[in-house]
Amino acid sequence: MFPIVLLSVFGILLLFLGFLKSRAILLPAALLFLLVSLAVNFIDWNKTYLYFNGMLLSDNLSMVFTAIVLGSAFMVVALSGSFMEDESAQPAEYYGILLFSLVGALMMIGFENLIMLFVGVEILSVAMYVLTGSDKRNLRSNEAALKYFLMGAFTTGIMLFGMALLYGATGSFTLGGIRAYAVNPQVGLSLLFYVGLLMLLIGLLFKVSAAPFHFWTPDVYDGAPTLFTAFMSTVVKTAGFAALFRLLSISFSGVYTFWWTILAIITTLTLVAGNITAVYQNSFKRMMAYSSISHAGYLLIGLAALGQQTKQAIVFYSLAYSVATIAAFGVLLLVARQRNAETITSGGSSSESFDAFNGLARQNPLLGFAMAVSMLSLAGIPLTAGFWGKFYMFSTAVERGQIWLLVVAVLMSAVGIYYYFRVIIAMYFREGATAPIRVAPFYRYVLVVATLLTIGLGIAPGLLEGLF
Amino acid sequence: MLTDFGIILLFILAAFAFIGIVLFVARLLRPNRPNEEKNSTYESGEEPVGNANIQFNIRYYVVALVFVLFDVELVFLFPWATVFGQVRLINETNGSWGWFALTEAFLFVGILGLGLAYVWAKGYLDWVKPQPKIPRVDTNVPADLYQRVNDKYSHSKP
Repeated sequence: MFPIVLLSVFGILLLFLGFLKSRAILLPAALLFLLVSLAVNFIDWNKTYLYFNGMLLSDNLSMVFTAIVLGSAFMVVALSGSFMEDESAQPAEYYGILLFSLVGALMMIGFENLIMLFVGVEILSVAMYVLTGSDKRNLRSNEAALKYFLMGAFTTGIMLFGMALLYGATGSFTLGGIRAYAVNPQVGLSLLFYVGLLMLLIGLLFKVSAAPFHFWTPDVYDGAPTLFTAFMSTVVKTAGFAALFRLLSISFSGVYTFWWTILAIITTLTLVAGNITAVYQNSFKRMMAYSSISHAGYLLIGLAALGQQTKQAIVFYSLAYSVATIAAFGVLLLVARQRNAETITSGGSSSESFDAFNGLARQNPLLGFAMAVSMLSLAGIPLTAGFWGKFYMFSTAVERGQIWLLVVAVLMSAVGIYYYFRVIIAMYFREGATAPIRVAPFYRYVLVVATLLTIGLGIAPGLLEGLF
Repeated sequence: MLTDFGIILLFILAAFAFIGIVLFVARLLRPNRPNEEKNSTYESGEEPVGNANIQFNIRYYVVALVFVLFDVELVFLFPWATVFGQVRLINETNGSWGWFALTEAFLFVGILGLGLAYVWAKGYLDWVKPQPKIPRVDTNVPADLYQRVNDKYSHSKP
């Protein structure tokens, strides 16, 4: 609760800080605000409170999710130094909108009432529409923003309709009320309930880009400025899965037999669509978009096989995925900027293709290593956090005995190794005329921390156990 | 047995039926003598000129946005006002309810006010004025020459 209040105030503060002549204060201020919010998050540690007349729950799980979201946001903001050099950028507004969008994410994490979920989803989505189109003079960015907005608004309508139907069936917006209805129906569950549940699921699955609701993802991730792509693929996904987990585990665990087949089919579709399509991409950024779809698939396994371990699996997986993704996008930002500067003089290939990474590791060992570790983690190679994330996910499927889901997932992660290793091969074994890339010290710390976190969690995955 | 929604449906049907019947009866009763003035669009006495489907100036959109913002604010303040003034609530809480409600309302209006201040300071409320280009002729002839010529050569007495 405290981070929500503070982030709202800080967002307004940041907007007004933008009136100062110097832009230099904005980045440190945004980082400080995020740190303060992260610190006050833990005030209620080991206690369970309901806030705002029972609208919002604060327990250890929601605080852990909040910490992941705020930590990812902190790392993304720390990588945003390039705004200061861009004349047309409006850093104060970007940071303000980022903080506001985090308020929405925190509401999705701790909601106790469907209204709160809706408000959270909307705050987060509207902020994302704006940030996607923030590169105003780039045609692709504009197109992405418009696409995202139209489709997002449409699915929000479907989701709201689903909530209304659920209310019609159960007479309650609260998670507990819906659960009470689903567990102990007086005259059998009404049709409205099932339709409402499906529509609500469609709305949320769209937000986390699960197939067949994933068609917006590649275009939007590709068109948005890289920094906001990193934000979208980590914060939005974590918050979306936290919301899905809360919803399914609390309200709808009574009707598990109804939705698990649907979710299992969607999981399979997502895994296949994401991984197979990613193989055919030539742009690294587009590949990361499909990779984020496939990771949504891995995260969905835990939900389709909802059980005792799901909570831990989702937390660990989203943490491992967020850290690796931010490191990958951080390196991409630097490489793309360097290549853009080179393209002006020589007229080479696109700055975001796989070729841009050719020979990167020779001149920039740190960038190469950070990228390699994050790719290994995303591919799920042992001794990285991604391996244990996949391990926990797969063991939930084993616990429920859903072997065919497991088989599909393992096959697809084998496919994943192919396209993740393309980057590593380009960096280490290809020749490329790469000048050393200048990395600002703070930028370097973020990449180092992300890499250390990935390796550390890969060696000692038990660090997080028993926290919640 | 009608549910509450059934009553609403009946109400809608009755509304359509009422309008239909009244229009039909009026058609039977009224004299029918159209002329050009009667058939033209009513524009508060103005002569209608041109089509209504025209492009509006983009500047109106900002004004419309800000307007909607404060319109919605007002919609929220009306129910607040009724709850704020409830004597029972105030008596039950020894008056602290009033202060609580007042603070909440001030927070709400204050945040919106901050938004307005932001828009204002950013200059989004400034009406972008077209800058008329005044034609200028570069010439060495001084401006008052013509006047002096007129004075010198005009012989007409006033």
